[in-house]
Amino acid sequence: MNESINFTVGFTEGIGWHWPIAVYLLLAGISGGALILALAIRFYKKQTENTAVYKSSALISCSTIMLGMVFLVADLEKPFVFWKILINYNFSSVMSIGVAAISVYIPLTCVIVIYAFEKEIKSLFGFLSPIIDLLKIVRSPLEGVTVFFAVIICAYTGFLISILVRFPMLNTAILPALFVVSGLSVGVASLSLVSHKLFKEDMHSGDMKILHKVEWPIMFVEVMFLSMLYVGLLVGGASGHVAIEGFHSGVWANVFWFGVVGIGFILPLVLNFALGKKMSNSLAVFYTSGLSSLVGVFCLRLFIVYAGQIFSV
Amino acid sequence: MGNKNDRRTFLKGIGFGSVLLSTMQYSLSANEENQKVDKSPHYGMVFDQNKCVGCTDCENACAEINLVPKGQKRLFVQDKTDQNHTDEKRYVRVSCQQCEEAPCVQACPTNASHRDSITNIVTMNADDCIGCKYCIVACPYDVRFINEETKAAENCNFCLNSNFKEGKKPACVEACKYTALVFGDLNDETSYINKLLRVKDSVRMKPGFGTKPSLRYIPIVKLGV
Ligand code: SF4
Ligand code: SF4
Repeated sequence: MNESINFTVGFTEGIGWHWPIAVYLLLAGISGGALILALAIRFYKKQTENTAVYKSSALISCSTIMLGMVFLVADLEKPFVFWKILINYNFSSVMSIGVAAISVYIPLTCVIVIYAFEKEIKSLFGFLSPIIDLLKIVRSPLEGVTVFFAVIICAYTGFLISILVRFPMLNTAILPALFVVSGLSVGVASLSLVSHKLFKEDMHSGDMKILHKVEWPIMFVEVMFLSMLYVGLLVGGASGHVAIEGFHSGVWANVFWFGVVGIGFILPLVLNFALGKKMSNSLAVFYTSGLSSLVGVFCLRLFIVYAGQIFSV
Repeated sequence: MGNKNDRRTFLKGIGFGSVLLSTMQYSLSANEENQKVDKSPHYGMVFDQNKCVGCTDCENACAEINLVPKGQKRLFVQDKTDQNHTDEKRYVRVSCQQCEEAPCVQACPTNASHRDSITNIVTMNADDCIGCKYCIVACPYDVRFINEETKAAENCNFCLNSNFKEGKKPACVEACKYTALVFGDLNDETSYINKLLRVKDSVRMKPGFGTKPSLRYIPIVKLGV
């Protein structure tokens, strides 16, 4: 850049946020994505019983968001004063808004767990029955609110890093959208895996078929958003050119092309469509394509966090 | 008699008038004072590249007075000399630009990174900082860091907690033997910094970020004589 005067060093030497943040972004995506999908299926099919998919979503969303919190707190320089974030609010801060949303979202996921495992909880802790029955009165509206917050959780993780003006790859409007869609994609994968493994759901049951069907449009939109991100940087002038290097050089470019594109997109596509019906219906393919989509989205989060920060202006 | 009376009223009049006058005067000066309080300060700094010789005295003074841990810096002088013209030295001050619209203040979830209510200087409250580093990635100039000892995020705050409190100029300004650094209130029309900015061409660093930095740089410009 031909400014008359400039400095080109900084005090963080490139990276302020490290991999625990990428893990958190992944876990928040899984949590929100799984819940959105399971509740959408429930509303769409007007289910009243607790299906395997519903139970899985309850377990997944609650455990991943809590684990995510562990990573988030562990990444603080002063983890033991993390509670200060709960008493000092700054509503111009996306992080504060996110914390507020999470403080509503986590209890909601706990309530979903109570709904999903009503029988089990009642038989184990009989004294809780009246409370559970009370909660059940508001079940449908509460589930609606939960979907709303699940979307917020996925989206805010995108907004959280899209406001960072120093990093052209992050500082784009497409990022929150990309995070919601990739959250849905890992939501599908984790729901199918857990439903089958833990709750013995048949691989070809009705719910699983829906999950399997929506998987491809979700992937398509994800690819589209990623291309938009790429093209946006390509035509984005000097700062875009700095950031686009992230796709082409360094170790994170490999993570992108091998991890996100190779394992995340191409592998599941090949396994499911190129190898014939017998193969695509097998258990091995079921697990591999589920896991590969998880790995793919994790690589995407890592790539965004690292390449995004390294190629700064 | 009549004269006497007249004289008395006259005297009374003067007395009354002076009371009136003095109250008027008083209210005037009160107004002036109020205005001064109302016009809150906007502190800024000028770095003159023509004068800086790169001795790093400012760096050292800053670290000493603000108890910055060894190896860390609130202020750094970067050598930007063109390697093809090593005889033309160029140095640039790297430090918090004291943005008027500061992303670090906006981003901080705990208000640890905040604007001081009296001086309007962007500063930090180390006790409230949880070290989430959001301010560090939010700062367009990459001039914040986690203090290794306090574990809190930190930036150049014009020595707000050290020299400024004692009514002194920032340590770097005091330390510079070549008067390459000038500090003052940009809202005070009569301040030296304003006089300087009126006669010198100065620029803001990376103004494209739109954060309105309060640091001004006077770059070396060759007039081609
Ligand atoms: S330069 Fe960075 S640390 Fe300083 S006020 Fe601006 S955003 Fe904050
Ligand atoms: S690191 Fe400290 S000062 Fe910076 S945003 Fe987090 S809490 Fe605020």
